[in-house]
Amino acid sequence: METDTQGPFVLSNLAEVVERVLSFLPTKALLRAACVCRLWRECARRILRTQQSVAWVSALEPGPSDTHSLVRTLAEELEKVHVLPQTVLYIADAETFSGHEDCHGQKKARKRNSKETAISLEKLLPKRCQVLGLVTPGIVATPMGSRGNRPQEIEDGEAGFALLFPKIDGVKIHTFHLFKDLKNKVFDESKFAEAGLKNNPDLRVVLLFGYNSWRTGATRFLHQVINPLNEKSIILAGGHVENFTSLTSENGNNQPGDSCGVVGLAFSGPQIQSATVLLDQDVVDERTAEAAMQRLKAANIPEHNTIGFMFACVGRGYQHYKTKRNLEADAFRKFFPSIPLFGFFGHGEIGCDRIVTGNFILRECNDVKDNLLHGYTTVMTLIHLGSAKPNQV
Amino acid sequence: MSLSEKNSVVFAYESSVHSTNVLLGLNGQRKQDILCDVTILVEDQRFRAHRAVLAACSSYFLSRIGQLDADLIITLPEEVTLKGFGPLLEFAYTAKLILNKDNVSEVCKCAEFLGVHNIEESCFQFLKFKFLDCKSGQPECPRRQCCSSRCQKTDDKINQVDEGDLGDGGEEDVQTPDSQLHKDGENAKVSSPAFQDTSQTCDPACLEKSNVSDLPSLCPKYRKFQKAFGSDRVQTTELSSSITEVQVMSAASIHESKSFDNNATQKAQECEIMQLAAKYEEAQVEMEEGEEEAAKEEEMKSDLVSQSVSYPVEKMDAAAFPQHSSVAPHGLHPVPFLHVYEQYDDLNFSGIQNSTVIAEKAVAGTGVGYDKPIENKNSDLLLKSDLCSTESMNIRTTSDRSSVEREVAEHLAKGFWSNVYSTETACQMHLSPATAKEYSESIYSGKKTECPWLGIRISDSPEPSPQRTFTTLNSVNCPFISTLNTEGCSNSSEISSGDYIQGQQAEQCPFTCEISLGEESETDTEGESESCSAKEQECEVKLPFNAQRIISLSRNDFQSFLKMHKLTPEQLDCIHDIRRRSKNRIAAQRCRKRKLDCIQNLESEIEKLQNEKENLLKERDRILSTLGETKQNLTGLCQQVCYMFDSPTLRWQHTTADCHRCSQV
Repeated sequence: METDTQGPFVLSNLAEVVERVLSFLPTKALLRAACVCRLWRECARRILRTQQSVAWVSALEPGPSDTHSLVRTLAEELEKVHVLPQTVLYIADAETFSGHEDCHGQKKARKRNSKETAISLEKLLPKRCQVLGLVTPGIVATPMGSRGNRPQEIEDGEAGFALLFPKIDGVKIHTFHLFKDLKNKVFDESKFAEAGLKNNPDLRVVLLFGYNSWRTGATRFLHQVINPLNEKSIILAGGHVENFTSLTSENGNNQPGDSCGVVGLAFSGPQIQSATVLLDQDVVDERTAEAAMQRLKAANIPEHNTIGFMFACVGRGYQHYKTKRNLEADAFRKFFPSIPLFGFFGHGEIGCDRIVTGNFILRECNDVKDNLLHGYTTVMTLIHLGSAKPNQV
Repeated sequence: MSLSEKNSVVFAYESSVHSTNVLLGLNGQRKQDILCDVTILVEDQRFRAHRAVLAACSSYFLSRIGQLDADLIITLPEEVTLKGFGPLLEFAYTAKLILNKDNVSEVCKCAEFLGVHNIEESCFQFLKFKFLDCKSGQPECPRRQCCSSRCQKTDDKINQVDEGDLGDGGEEDVQTPDSQLHKDGENAKVSSPAFQDTSQTCDPACLEKSNVSDLPSLCPKYRKFQKAFGSDRVQTTELSSSITEVQVMSAASIHESKSFDNNATQKAQECEIMQLAAKYEEAQVEMEEGEEEAAKEEEMKSDLVSQSVSYPVEKMDAAAFPQHSSVAPHGLHPVPFLHVYEQYDDLNFSGIQNSTVIAEKAVAGTGVGYDKPIENKNSDLLLKSDLCSTESMNIRTTSDRSSVEREVAEHLAKGFWSNVYSTETACQMHLSPATAKEYSESIYSGKKTECPWLGIRISDSPEPSPQRTFTTLNSVNCPFISTLNTEGCSNSSEISSGDYIQGQQAEQCPFTCEISLGEESETDTEGESESCSAKEQECEVKLPFNAQRIISLSRNDFQSFLKMHKLTPEQLDCIHDIRRRSKNRIAAQRCRKRKLDCIQNLESEIEKLQNEKENLLKERDRILSTLGETKQNLTGLCQQVCYMFDSPTLRWQHTTADCHRCSQV
């Protein structure tokens, strides 16, 4: 009898105990538990505040169900993660995400399919969460579990991942969408301010994903977007994706248009450190790839609370490296044993060699306007989101 | 809050730009040499600076300046180099370090030595790896680019020349502008030797024409030459040595061959080719004039030699071309040729009258078959060439050996000519030697070996009677060249297959060589462009399964499939290549399809809108017509009313009232 009364007493009065107990719960369960009483809610809030490291869900094997395996995996894994996602970046392979498109007639159906998949993914995530979803020809992702898992390049086949960014102190992540307005020929600078890319001194990293870049004038448009950003000391990285499937942001909902455009994530915050390297066409074997990784390593970005991005060309991958598969990802793992790597194989890359840390900036300064748009290359980027203590290993 | 407390409230104003501006100001002072109180000597170069700034930026300067407070000159030890110190001083004043490949290591060393603050080691590391990477990557890539670009350039130029030539000379069908394409390339290669010869025959006759036509004939040579250079150095040295031999032997044309030699060593730029061609022309003009004025033997000789020199030049190309085959035999070619030429010109002068007649006859003989296809010609000429084949063989071998046996060769040759003479007396048609020569050329490009001798003889023989050849040439020249070349093109396949193998002296014949080498060169230049597909197909043939299968398999299946089959690395490469290509192709197709879809959509939209517009226009017309009708009705009504009420004022009122009513209705 005594224990029966003692238990409720402890759990409804001793905040330390409750907090300790609740801290073992995954976030979704924690939120449910927060509904129990005021004390628990307070405890849950405190715990949530400590959960500031990035989590991810990756689906690397084709699932048995008719939906995309990422949907299923995300539904399962969201129950387990210790993070309340505020910004989510998910990337899935275009082929299975939107079904096969063989003939012209099925195109409509395919669009609907991808839309449905996107919506089902968005539904899984919290309502106020910013979601940016992309479909690309190939996926690079680190399997779930340890940060040190071997990242895998999946150039074709069903795969996808979702990066869940919680609210991180001192770091602001927001999505943006810039697209070519067919009515206004001139690109409006004010859109930058709207997107939070202008007058933002803390802006450190911008991940750019161009879509419909095969359209005429897309390159010019991209230059219009990139060049103003390139003036500043911002790490620019990204690539061209097949399309984006979902984008919810604070500024309202955006739909993919028919014209070309850019979606992306902007990371701002003084504590962010980042470095990026470009593996150009001369990087053709293990040695040169590792040399590039060594370069990235030399940037001396702290390894904890850091995520790696890899944006490669569809033309690279195992065929580029004389049938050695996963070479770039492995080279990355060799030099960065505890940084998860994510990315995709796209239709062109945006990036350069650059380091931006709190103390210094290292960038190329040529007389000629340096071009950030590349093809047949790989861009590797490290983003360190501050030195907050990771609560999840 | 009490009054005293209120008074003690402190505000802090912080400027975010102050530090930068101070630094800017200091930098400005330094540039104008204001308030600078120290001079730094690095490798004999003086830098003016502020002691305070240096001491603040570098621990080395802090200690140094502390020691020698009175000294206004600081001489840095030799560890600090000019290259390394300059950027660091800039950094001290601007917070910006300009690093490049050359200075990064020295700046790093100097920064370490001087103990410069706020420079992180990691940036040097980063750059070192980058530049190291570049260095190791460089030897391969720029060379490759360079090569390809050069080839491209020459190709382009050749095309330009060709096009220009097409305009002038009227040889439309011959040198297709896209000679890069391999099929055409082959044709062009075959046709170009013939072309060269035609241009050669043209040279003495119509200089303007030949000037034009000579350029393209020279250009391919140089392209080949360059290719030979790109791949095989030994070859080129061999070549140049053979060229020098030619030089020695042909005193008259030393000038040209020298320039040629130079070109060879300088990798023969296109412009130089032009120059050479021009020089060549000039030289020939002189020669021609000399001949016309005085038909002395010496001059004739020299001229012939000069002509023959141009021939070995072509041979040399042929020799330069066989990059795979052995060097020596081809390298030797020019020399024997020269011998033979000399023999021939000896021969020509010994039997001058003979040769002129022979020329006509030969011309006529070839001219007979002019209208008919080449086979006729072949048989015709082959008769003669069969007669002389053994003799010419002898000539060749003897000339190969030594000049001692030259006389024997001469005898043989004489016998040969007389043979020809006797067989052809019946023929009377008059055609220009050029055409004859062209024909023999095309024939021999079809039928290898001894024809060159014949052709050359003919081209040489008209010299005693220059006027006539001039006149005839002008009229006949152009159309003939075109026909010849087209024939050359059409013949090319046969040449490469049957005749080449048949011909026993094929190895000795430079032109067949060239043909066969043309094929080789295709494989040689592979890896550049479309030619890969040929290789692919070739590889495919060796594969135990077809490409379709490789492409259609999914990735996992493909992997297991590869494991199942034991494949060589080349095959694997090839398969992967095929797969990648096909994937790319599919992607491109998809992209194209998307574009097409888009276009289709837009088109349908346009159609829709046009329909709409049409409908609207119809509607407008209809409405307009009804409007007219109603107006008519109205006026009719008005008139009626007017009759009824004769008063004008009333009429007006009523009409307006009517109108109103109408509008209301």
